[in-house]
Amino acid sequence: MAEVVKPRKSAGSLAWLSVLSLLGFLAAWELICRSGAVDPIFLPPPSQVWARASTMFGQGTLLGHVLASTRRVMVGFLAAAAVAIPLGIWLGTSRIARAIFDPVISFLRPLPSMSWIPLSLLWFGINETQKYSIVFMGSFVPALLYVMEATRSIDPLLIRAARNLGAQRWQVMREVLLPGCLPQIISGMKIILGLSWTCVISAELVAAKEGLGFMIMNGKEFFQTDTVVLGMVLISFTVLATDLVVRALERWLLAWQR
Amino acid sequence: MPMNRRALLRSTAAAIVPAIGGFPLIGRAANRPYTYGGSAWLGHYSAYIAIKTGIFSKKGLEIKWQSFPTSSDRMGAVMAGSIDLAGTGVVSSLALMAAGASQFKVIATPNNFGRAEGLLVRSNVSNIAQLKGKKIGVTFASSTHVLVLDLLKQAGMNPDSDVSLINLPAPNLLSAYQGNQIDAAAAWTPSFDRIKALPNTRVLADDTSFSLYKEYSITPGPDVLLATTKLAKEDPAAIKTFLQGIFEANAMLTNAPEEAAKVLIEITGLTLEEQVNTIKQTGWYSAEQQRSLLVAPGSFVTGMQKLAEMLVSLKQIDKAPVVRNWLDAGYL
Repeated sequence: MAEVVKPRKSAGSLAWLSVLSLLGFLAAWELICRSGAVDPIFLPPPSQVWARASTMFGQGTLLGHVLASTRRVMVGFLAAAAVAIPLGIWLGTSRIARAIFDPVISFLRPLPSMSWIPLSLLWFGINETQKYSIVFMGSFVPALLYVMEATRSIDPLLIRAARNLGAQRWQVMREVLLPGCLPQIISGMKIILGLSWTCVISAELVAAKEGLGFMIMNGKEFFQTDTVVLGMVLISFTVLATDLVVRALERWLLAWQR
Repeated sequence: MPMNRRALLRSTAAAIVPAIGGFPLIGRAANRPYTYGGSAWLGHYSAYIAIKTGIFSKKGLEIKWQSFPTSSDRMGAVMAGSIDLAGTGVVSSLALMAAGASQFKVIATPNNFGRAEGLLVRSNVSNIAQLKGKKIGVTFASSTHVLVLDLLKQAGMNPDSDVSLINLPAPNLLSAYQGNQIDAAAAWTPSFDRIKALPNTRVLADDTSFSLYKEYSITPGPDVLLATTKLAKEDPAAIKTFLQGIFEANAMLTNAPEEAAKVLIEITGLTLEEQVNTIKQTGWYSAEQQRSLLVAPGSFVTGMQKLAEMLVSLKQIDKAPVVRNWLDAGYL
């Protein structure tokens, strides 16, 4: 019996399919809202969200909110990654270090970023450091766990083989461990970057004058749901944009994999 | 007996369908207790006293108390239909009116306060102009936020460039002020009383300095009582009884403030002396006063309309609603 082979869809046609899907979603959303089935206070139509975006852009406030949140996320995330990556590799390779730090990590792991707000206010006051610290504390432990797991997933046989061939400790790290766990660490960091964006909402709950989290909460106070939805959309767009940058970085760092 | 997929779906459906079918009956249960949304703010004293001293229950009305930290959270619950009656600062309700919400009606205003909230500063500050370049802690989207914006406007100062307004929830104002993280705090009772009691601190301005107070005796965020449109349709008699209870509690607040204070300190955390002072410095409206405020000549409604227009000029809401459309004085 002859096998029926379906022609493969090209990348271009798949992209068009995605665009059509998005347009269809927006059109359905607009139609449902305009039909009166949903009160705009509960869910504003996309056209109303767009109008709010245009107004705020015209007032010059929109970009300020995006940049303020992006700065807080990047500072908090990079600080968390800078501490978590070396510490995670060390904990992943040393059983003694794990025995020492595991209880503390287990204690910190379930704490949501919001729970750090009262202490961060006392420690750092109401300045930007307090907001960076919330993003840091919300991102640090998950990042640490990703790096630890990535390091521990390296086949011990490879490490033993390198040592048998005379490799020193630093050489094992550089030639075996780092190349082996880097792809997994980068994948983990992409997820943590998304998590940092959820933390920034908590960070901007208190003593913030700008930022997407502030914009959402202020919109909520005045029941401007179009502002709330706009803030949510902008967070998604900004995460997508930063994800593109991280992917480019990933391609550069892991060029040897291709 | 092992269960196949069809049997599993059948038994799941058998469990879910009666549950879904029975759900609306819960909402329709007759004589159910109604829920009032409040907080430790003095706008809710009347309802709290009426609940705690049994005023409502003696009238055959069962009201449950539900606390919310902010007016907007409370109004969110009103919109979702989770509470039936509520008190709120008028800013939140005006914001919802501006958005065209039809889920609630304004049924009364319980009090008139002018000295229970204000702007607190260090003793060496004697006027608003001296706050130039300073940090002012204020809860955004609250009555004190409106007060600060108005005071700055009266002094010809720009809130975006001349001062730094820091958005802080009411409970954080005291610690931020004590820790010198802010130079001034705009707060309402009980935080207002606690900050005022600190050494080297004075009240720079209270609601009596608000421009509309001078003209219409309206504070930046007067309290209003609301009922949901659903309750108004289903049980208007309950709203009438609720208001009777409120005015009875107001009479107690006016005539026996010490007795009322003993009930209230459990929710406000103030000392008995502070609590009595807060009660005494507030005017508690009677049913007769309500009619002149809301119906004829209706000065309160005029003041609310002016406040809505002011909120637009202060860029707090997009458009001024016609306040009278949300008012129903028929339950008085």
